[in-house]
Amino acid sequence: MKLISIILGGVLTSNFIFIQYLGLCAFIGLSEQMEIAVGMATAVIFVMTFASTVVAAVEQFILIPLGLQYLRTIAYILVIAGFVQLIEMFLKKTAPALYKAMGIYLPLITTNCAVLGVAMLNVTKGYNILWSTINGTAGALGWSLAIVIFAGIRERWKFMDIPKVLKGFPLALISTGLMSLAFLGFSGLFKGVIK
Amino acid sequence: MNGKRSLLHDFTKGFIEENATFRMVIGMCPTLAITTSVVNGFWMGVAVIFVLTVSNVLVSALRKQTPDEIRIPVFVILIAAPVVIVELVMKAYMPAMYATMGVFVPLIVVNCIIIARSEAFAYRNPVLNSLMDGLGIGGGYTINLVVIGGIREFLGTGQIVFGSRAFPAKPFFEPAAVMLTPPGGFVTLGLLMTILNIVIQRSEQKKAAREAAATAHD
Amino acid sequence: MGEKLLITSSPHLKGPNSVRGIMLEVIFSLVPASIAAVVLFGFHALLVLLASVASAVASEAIFQKAVKREVTVGDFSAVITGMLLALSLPPGVPLFVPVIGSAFAIMIAKQIFGGLGTNFVNPALAGRAFVMAAWTMHMTADWISPFAFDAASGATPLGLLKETGQAPGLSIADLLIGNRLGSMGETCIAALLLGGAYLIVRGIIDWRIPAGFLGILFVGTWIFGKSGAYFQGDGLTAILLGGAVLGGFFMATDYVTSPVTAKGRLYMGMGAGFVTLLIRLWGSYPEGVTYGILLMNLATPLIDRFVVPKYYGYMHDVALRKKARAGGR
Repeated sequence: MKLISIILGGVLTSNFIFIQYLGLCAFIGLSEQMEIAVGMATAVIFVMTFASTVVAAVEQFILIPLGLQYLRTIAYILVIAGFVQLIEMFLKKTAPALYKAMGIYLPLITTNCAVLGVAMLNVTKGYNILWSTINGTAGALGWSLAIVIFAGIRERWKFMDIPKVLKGFPLALISTGLMSLAFLGFSGLFKGVIK
Repeated sequence: MNGKRSLLHDFTKGFIEENATFRMVIGMCPTLAITTSVVNGFWMGVAVIFVLTVSNVLVSALRKQTPDEIRIPVFVILIAAPVVIVELVMKAYMPAMYATMGVFVPLIVVNCIIIARSEAFAYRNPVLNSLMDGLGIGGGYTINLVVIGGIREFLGTGQIVFGSRAFPAKPFFEPAAVMLTPPGGFVTLGLLMTILNIVIQRSEQKKAAREAAATAHD
Repeated sequence: MGEKLLITSSPHLKGPNSVRGIMLEVIFSLVPASIAAVVLFGFHALLVLLASVASAVASEAIFQKAVKREVTVGDFSAVITGMLLALSLPPGVPLFVPVIGSAFAIMIAKQIFGGLGTNFVNPALAGRAFVMAAWTMHMTADWISPFAFDAASGATPLGLLKETGQAPGLSIADLLIGNRLGSMGETCIAALLLGGAYLIVRGIIDWRIPAGFLGILFVGTWIFGKSGAYFQGDGLTAILLGGAVLGGFFMATDYVTSPVTAKGRLYMGMGAGFVTLLIRLWGSYPEGVTYGILLMNLATPLIDRFVVPKYYGYMHDVALRKKARAGGR
């Protein structure tokens, strides 16, 4: 039950983009073409899942025992940056084709506030390593859903006569607002049924 | 002479030319999340000014000693340090505001604005200029947050609250709660950008018209 | 330059349909429901309807003038948006609600993208979702007693269903005529069905969308509707209550925001029904139709991507492939 509620939360009721405002820069910047959106989504799912695991482990085995919680921010961001760097190097050696495909998106993920954001949220919710990982995946799935939907919509804008003052970010933001309005419908989903 | 003017320029450009939210369009997450009220926006802005200025100064001071290959991790550390300070100070002296801002306080460390300024400016410019850059960009950003927060708070609650005082004392229209929600935030920011674009477009058209008229007179 | 030379590629078909013609037929199909709303709920309902339409048309004209485009209010699409929005509102709402709702619907959900044909969500529903989030109190409490024309507090049958799991015993006749609290277009189902049937017969809307939508809602409520037991829910009441008929026939079927292929449309209707079911049974809002349709609007580009129609010559290719496989051993 907790599993379902976390997944539903990450994907729908607390969607990282539409409800929690996390990971917006990449969302707006990389949603113009479906292929790019899907590529970034894959990278995000991968990194958010495993970075959540590593970070939760650091929290449990290093920060808490040594009472260093106040250094959480520095520790987390270094872990995430290092983790992404490691993945990059690993992919370059073992799966050069995949590295080339994912290549540019990986370093972008370090500054994607969704990654650090979910790590921090895991702490707020008191999740252990397992639940942190699951929450990381759920959040990433929600983020991916959002960017894929948006890419589908944006690809159609090529054929439209958009006023110059609206082109690009303004229209993207207003559209995200409309999508977010739709997602409000999920608020409180399964609230009474799932604890 | 040139040095002095350049210093002033490094400060002022952060307000319009290189306005973080509306021209460079970076650091969007906290911009939308925090601007549910003027006070929230203001204090986040202050925090960002502090972190940005300190990190800019540090990055600039150490720029000759920082090898190019590891500069990003170095930036991250130099940014994380003032963020931790902000976190601790806020937790100690403004616990309510800290709780309201939630996860976005530590998220200042990945705020694209700060890393972008380290990379694009502080790493390549002297300390005093970087200081001015930090103050200017941070100041401009704070104004953005306050304006957006003001609009959303006013339309969403009918009044703007400063501590124990509220303007107007009683809302004179039915506040639209949606402004405080994500859709309200996105649409507000999108519309503000549009308005700014319109203003810029008009002024460019006027300038072009003036120039055309000027050359016609020759 | 007076003459405009239009160069387009074939096929060139001339038919009786124009945008304006289709829009007028849709308006015509909404007239019974609008009349019913005024009969049931009185003068204020008429004001809401008029305010909504006026605001929609004015917003469109103002926006198009401002961006120096041709003013197209003559195609009546704004009128329809205004009517649909009004019908989805409680009859007793203060007039600023339809005015702002319509303005939002037309300017933000439709015109900034380039006008008719460019929006990606149904404008009327976007307007409704906006005012729902902005003035929730009005949207959930400003009911009017049918035929009595007084303001009525208290929950609608759908609201009661949500809170208590029981809808007050309503006969089918009650449901169809609309003698209950509800939004303007939600109560007189008979009038709506009349209009909807007209549109299907005239070939203006695809029956698959309302069929999929109401079908899933019916089956889903039947299976899950009664808490604690399965297969005991009242599916029929579910599709006759709330905005399901209004949404299913008139809003989900909007050409611009629904898929291109027949199969795709069926899936869209089913998807909308599914989400509506989710929200009605397990979400916070008593009515999920707005969000069900809006979310499937968002999914439409993806549906169009993945649901590929059989192209002309498909069976020929299948036969060829079969022959190749059989021969190439």
